[in-house]
Amino acid sequence: MMTEQIAAVLRACLFIAIALLLCMVIFAAVGLSAIDTLRGVVEGAFFRPRAMDHVLRWGLPLLITSVGVVICFRAGYFNIGAQGQFYMGAIAAAFAAEALRGTSPLVAVPLCMLAGIVGGAIWALWPALLRVKAGADEVISTMMGNFIAALVLVHVTSGPLKDPSGSGQATSSLPVDAAHRISATTGTSPIILGITALVVLLGWWLTRRTAFGVLSGLAGRNPTMVTWQGADVERIAIGAFLVSGAFAGLAGSIELLGPNGRLASGFLPAHGFTAVVIALVASLSVLATVFVALFFGALASAALYLPVMAGLPAAAIQIINASIALFITSRTEAAENLLSRWRARWKT
Amino acid sequence: MAENPQAGAQAPALDAQGVTVRYGSFTALDDVTARFEPGLIHAIVGQNGAGKTTFARVAAGLVAPAAGQALIFGTQVPPGDVPRARTAGVELVHQSFALPPSFTVAEVLQFVGPRAGLYSRRAIERHWQAWLRDIGIDLPAAARIRDLPIESQQSAEIARAMVSDARLLILDEPTAVLPPEGIDRLFARIRSLKARGVTVFLVLHKIREVLAIADTVTVLRGGRLVAGPMPTAGLAPASLSAQIIGEGAGTLDLSDRAALTGEGAARHADAGAAAPRRGEGKALEVSLLHVARGQYGNGLSGVNLDVHSAEIVGIAGVEGNGQRDLVAAVAGLQPIAEGAIRIAGQSFGREGLARRRGAGLRIIPFERNVEGLSLTSSLWENWSAAQLVGRSLLATAGPRALRRLADQRFREWDLRYRNPDQPAGALSGGNAQKVILAREVDAAARLIIAAQPTRGLDVGATAAVWDALRAARARGAGVLIISSDLDELFDICDRVVVLAAGRSVGTFAPPYDLRAIGDAMVAATARPQEETA
Repeated sequence: MMTEQIAAVLRACLFIAIALLLCMVIFAAVGLSAIDTLRGVVEGAFFRPRAMDHVLRWGLPLLITSVGVVICFRAGYFNIGAQGQFYMGAIAAAFAAEALRGTSPLVAVPLCMLAGIVGGAIWALWPALLRVKAGADEVISTMMGNFIAALVLVHVTSGPLKDPSGSGQATSSLPVDAAHRISATTGTSPIILGITALVVLLGWWLTRRTAFGVLSGLAGRNPTMVTWQGADVERIAIGAFLVSGAFAGLAGSIELLGPNGRLASGFLPAHGFTAVVIALVASLSVLATVFVALFFGALASAALYLPVMAGLPAAAIQIINASIALFITSRTEAAENLLSRWRARWKT
Repeated sequence: MAENPQAGAQAPALDAQGVTVRYGSFTALDDVTARFEPGLIHAIVGQNGAGKTTFARVAAGLVAPAAGQALIFGTQVPPGDVPRARTAGVELVHQSFALPPSFTVAEVLQFVGPRAGLYSRRAIERHWQAWLRDIGIDLPAAARIRDLPIESQQSAEIARAMVSDARLLILDEPTAVLPPEGIDRLFARIRSLKARGVTVFLVLHKIREVLAIADTVTVLRGGRLVAGPMPTAGLAPASLSAQIIGEGAGTLDLSDRAALTGEGAARHADAGAAAPRRGEGKALEVSLLHVARGQYGNGLSGVNLDVHSAEIVGIAGVEGNGQRDLVAAVAGLQPIAEGAIRIAGQSFGREGLARRRGAGLRIIPFERNVEGLSLTSSLWENWSAAQLVGRSLLATAGPRALRRLADQRFREWDLRYRNPDQPAGALSGGNAQKVILAREVDAAARLIIAAQPTRGLDVGATAAVWDALRAARARGAGVLIISSDLDELFDICDRVVVLAAGRSVGTFAPPYDLRAIGDAMVAATARPQEETA
């Protein structure tokens, strides 16, 4: 068990290392100094003042969403709707925050998060039902769900929750009641850290310590076998989707109450997709997801640092993200063979 | 014809010279040297895993030997070059048929035959119907492959092979899918092919069949040539069976050995006074069961079946006559239209499999690698599934404890494995089946359904499965075995029920009458055949 998870972490490191090598070639090809760019990225991620705060600010919400994605993927369902579920969570939380304006944060914050959880879960429930009852491909339905959620977000921020004083290009809601904020705009907080730790613990428990964990793992690889054992594959599927959506929705509510402070149309447009990449890079291991999500958090933080402090294009980070995504899609054959050969060599 | 000039009438049909085939680190064939005369019927026999199918594939030019060579009528055919092999006159009929199900027989033959220009559906049907009549194969040219019964599908495969004027026809385990009468008809067809000058290779399982049809027999064991080709005339079945089984032969019960090799007329191990008394209680009662056509088959239209405790009942029948529907219905995976199912005294209607497992139902499913195991999952997870299905999804499942339990059970079953974290796909067929046995055959089992439990297993693994099922009977469990191997059923069953066209058409007790059971298997299937024709 432990070795499996350590192998997942090592595998993730390998992918990232190969992807970074590819990026250096690309940087050099476009005339940037590969070494300087990489140094800028590392500096921006880890060595600027309050670097850890920034890594956590971006990494923790990603981690919450990724754990949910891992649980759904393990059960064999390619729920790529984390983005939409994240938005729906944030929207539901924003309505709750609006309704609870002026109440005690002890009441409002948990209720807003609960609203986020429910909103995300509902946005995962309908693709789950379509899948198990009608056989509709969840890849298509969850992806469509992302677009719908993004448009719902535009509607909400320019309609029901519109900030009338807003004048920017992106519409947004009124700021959340200052008393209900759980972190400053640029930072993180012990509350967010605590909730994230709880989510990781819950995800680890679900996948490694429950009947759901074993049966969903089997069902993800061979649903026929699990059916012939008498397990209720439909329930496992719906459960996996619900947990996945709930975590994404929770992340949405945290972004709302935390760093964002308000609902803005089109905010964090890559959050859910990055979470999918994180889950895959982490080989669907919750433990490995912690490391990989923090790494991607570091990249996100560096993306903001690069143009300002080092005069380098933020697109460098996008290239790194993209090449990691590229490598995980091709990992199955080549990288797996390489790793298994290494492992065999260590053992003999 | 790209033929070697020296290849006259005297060239052997197949000349294998030191043929060695390896799959990774596994040696499937080890330095096999043998010459096969043309114009005869040659049988290749051996246990599962002895290298028979590999040998057939080498002969057909599908597999390249790592060392040595195989000459066909004196010609070397480059491996993997099917058109060249076809030109040389070799055709292989595979164990699992490979014709496109949506094609008609005429379309299949047109497709493999010499094609020219445009043609109408009517014209090719007329042409190929006449051709089929000429070569003595009774098949409707207009029928779609998927509508044909297994036996006719095999005939279509043979016809397909004959289109290209095969001079060497290789049939890989052609009798495995046929009822006794179908085997007789197949043999008659093979004899008529021989009369036309065709050399026939038969990969066979049963000594009885070898002696009935073949001119020579060749025995493979563990990839090595043990004997042959030797003439079958005057060959003693017992000596042939000893050669097939090898060292293990001495440790096997005589009737088990006969059942494993199809040595002669089937007997029954427990016939007479030796048979244990079956229990009073009933492990399974199925009455007037009707099931609609569905994902598991063509449905059931009236099955009555009882399995007492401490009894082994066999289901005989040509594959696809409702065996899968029956198992799925008893498992609760398929809704029943009419009738009743009682497992260990409890009546079950719409309850799921988990509840039925709770009543003591255990299933060894048809498809070991699909329904039985998740090949990419670890052994302990595969074993644990049965422990977890009855519980809440959020029940604690400590992997350490489950792994230890699985480990312990695997040891009891003498499983050959490295550790419980190994993926199930890394095990051989026999060991994989032991994982399923370790999961399904436990003390709480009241009714064990074993569907094709020994298919593809070697002698040792087959004997282990039989022992396990007999031990379960001794503990008082009822056992229902579905098998297409009648020798297997005759050897271990206390009763045999014949299933045909979704109906239970007869119950037989030892001593079993092969003829009568064979008649029952095909009598009721005659009707749907006519419908599709």
